Amino acid sequence: MRDVIQFHLDPHSGVATYLQIVQQVKEALRLGTIDVGDQLPTVREVVADLAINPNTVAKAYRDLEREGLVVARQGRGTFIASSLAPASLRHHDELRAELERWIRSALAAGLDEESVRALISATLRESLARNVA
Amino acid sequence: MAWVTWRQHRSQLVTAAGLLVALAFAALGTRLPIEAAFHHDSLAGCLPPAPRTGCDIIVPHFEGEWNGLVTAVRVLAVLPVLAGLFVGAPLLAREIEQGTHRFAWTQGIARWRWLLSKTALLAAATALAGGVASALVMWWRTPFDTLEGRMGPASFDIEGLVVPAYALFALALGVLAGLVFRRTVAAMTSTLVAFAATRFLVLEFVRPHFLAPLHRTDVASGAGGQPGDWVLSDTLVDGGGRQISVARENLAVLHAQQAGIDPHTYIVTLGWRRVISYQPAGRFWTFQLLEAGLFAALAVVVVLVTVWLVRRRPT
Amino acid sequence: MSAAPLVAESLGKRFRREWGLRGLTLELPAGAIVGLVGANGAGKSTLLALATGLLAPTEGTISILGRDPLRDPGTLAEVGFVAQGAPLYKSFTVGETITYARKTNARWDDEIVVELLTRIDSSAKVGSLSEGDRARLALAIMLGKRPQLVLLDEPFASLDPLAGRELLQLLMDGVAETSATVVIASHVVADVERVCDHIVLLAGGAVRLEGSVEGLLESHRLLTGPRRPLGAIRGVREIVRERHSGRQLTLLAVTDGPIVDASWRVERVGLEDLLLAYMAPERLPAAARPTERVRLRWHG
Repeated sequence: MRDVIQFHLDPHSGVATYLQIVQQVKEALRLGTIDVGDQLPTVREVVADLAINPNTVAKAYRDLEREGLVVARQGRGTFIASSLAPASLRHHDELRAELERWIRSALAAGLDEESVRALISATLRESLARNVA
Repeated sequence: MAWVTWRQHRSQLVTAAGLLVALAFAALGTRLPIEAAFHHDSLAGCLPPAPRTGCDIIVPHFEGEWNGLVTAVRVLAVLPVLAGLFVGAPLLAREIEQGTHRFAWTQGIARWRWLLSKTALLAAATALAGGVASALVMWWRTPFDTLEGRMGPASFDIEGLVVPAYALFALALGVLAGLVFRRTVAAMTSTLVAFAATRFLVLEFVRPHFLAPLHRTDVASGAGGQPGDWVLSDTLVDGGGRQISVARENLAVLHAQQAGIDPHTYIVTLGWRRVISYQPAGRFWTFQLLEAGLFAALAVVVVLVTVWLVRRRPT
Repeated sequence: MSAAPLVAESLGKRFRREWGLRGLTLELPAGAIVGLVGANGAGKSTLLALATGLLAPTEGTISILGRDPLRDPGTLAEVGFVAQGAPLYKSFTVGETITYARKTNARWDDEIVVELLTRIDSSAKVGSLSEGDRARLALAIMLGKRPQLVLLDEPFASLDPLAGRELLQLLMDGVAETSATVVIASHVVADVERVCDHIVLLAGGAVRLEGSVEGLLESHRLLTGPRRPLGAIRGVREIVRERHSGRQLTLLAVTDGPIVDASWRVERVGLEDLLLAYMAPERLPAAARPTERVRLRWHG
């Protein structure tokens, strides 16, 4: 269960090691390669693989816990607590208003409900594909 | 520390055991013919204090016959120092030379305790080996000791309690030398020198005075004292008690020969006598105890100094 | 609350006529992974030998976890040390070496040693192991006593890159398990840059620079500008090194505030370049290209 994610370190990227770990966890969540309930590798496993300071990994996991993405269970490990949705939900209202504005523009341009729905689906699909690549 | 000491020194201990076994076989093998010759010549009747007539011929003949072996056995006087050279000196010198002390002395056991345990265990083995060697030599030399006694250094030094005591002293010296010089060769050399020097000093200046020597005045005959005694000095003195130099003695002998007189008789008529100072054979075990005690005490002092040094200035 | 892992006060050690260390004062934070750096001969090995009771100080004091390492034998039960070259008994087998350590340390954890020592045959003679395997063995054994403080003297010297990486993996694994404070002495800065969060730089037998990696990187800047006579620069507390080339002047400075002077180009310095500047007075890090440094963000 614990090899759901394998971290890699780029020491010359200019990004702090602990941040790289945080980013890689978030990315995996976005991609769906890890899910709620999955256990992250233990600190020991990460440092035995990457040969980095255990404090760095601990810091990354603490940050993720603060953001509500993971939860540390004493003696058992660190587990994914939620998907990234909660974060995006903070911008919910803003995004919603923006979306309503766009829909009004689309309808005013002459699209009917079906066309609007189709356009949204296609664009969403293409954008996601581009993000992964 | 028992396992540690065994594992690090097992080749030395096995070699020592092998040596003793070889010694035992050699002793057994060579003793049988000696025993046979002793009985064949009925030398039992030549033992002091009342040798029968003819002993003054057959005893020297017997001793001459086995002189080669007896001399060879005297070489075993070197055995004790081997403990110092091959067990004591490398103990610390090799550790420090090879840097393994940085491993051994940074575990959870104190340096001094590590050293003391090791040394104590090796000392026990050394004393045992020394005791076995000494017992073998004493057994082997029984016919010769009964005939000529064993107070003299040639036999005293290779028998009894002193052998294990010398070995312990040599071992202690080796360990100290290893700490001080930190090189195996230098430690071995200095151990040899210090051991030899101490043995020499004790033999020349201390042993003769363990107990006050006895004195005996003899008419200037050929014989000088009882067999078995350790003669310390045998000087010719004139009627007034003054020592006669060798030159004077030679002159007197020359006069006698020129006059056709037996030199011994001539010296007697001059009123000259021999004054012999000696340690009697009966004091053998007392002296053994005193000298063994001395060397054992020296060994303890040396070990304590080493332990103190390793605590305060390890390297 | 246990005592600080290492505290030195005006520590000095003289060898015949030369001083290996003099006036060294230092206190290490608990739980840190400390890089002890400096040129060869700067005093790193001497400091570690004093910390493990292998040498007696000539002057000053050193205390390890609140104890005197020279006189208090209990100190070394809590300190793990691997000397330069990972000395072990070459004629012992791996298993016998572990037995040796087990018998001379009161607190011993066989499990951690077994866990850390994969791929090593316990009946192999230590002398027949590769350098890398021997170093890993020495490290694993050292961790078997679960020390509070780990001291390593040039652990990566003479190891090829793969062996060095494996050693570092083993070390970090062991440290994660035991939560020890670690001091890695190395004259190769790059080796320690990956794992250390605290730096002590020795030069000439004393501490020349010390601090957390974050703090050091935050408090130093590289200033480049046209050559001119120097006055006080706002934000610069101390100039560590300066270098002239043609019409350009480059300074490595310790800062105490933001530098807003527009006549200077201000950049961050990489750890390796920073330490080298302190170690070798003539060297100064070449002004880096913007793309290499601008994205460096180390948050507290």
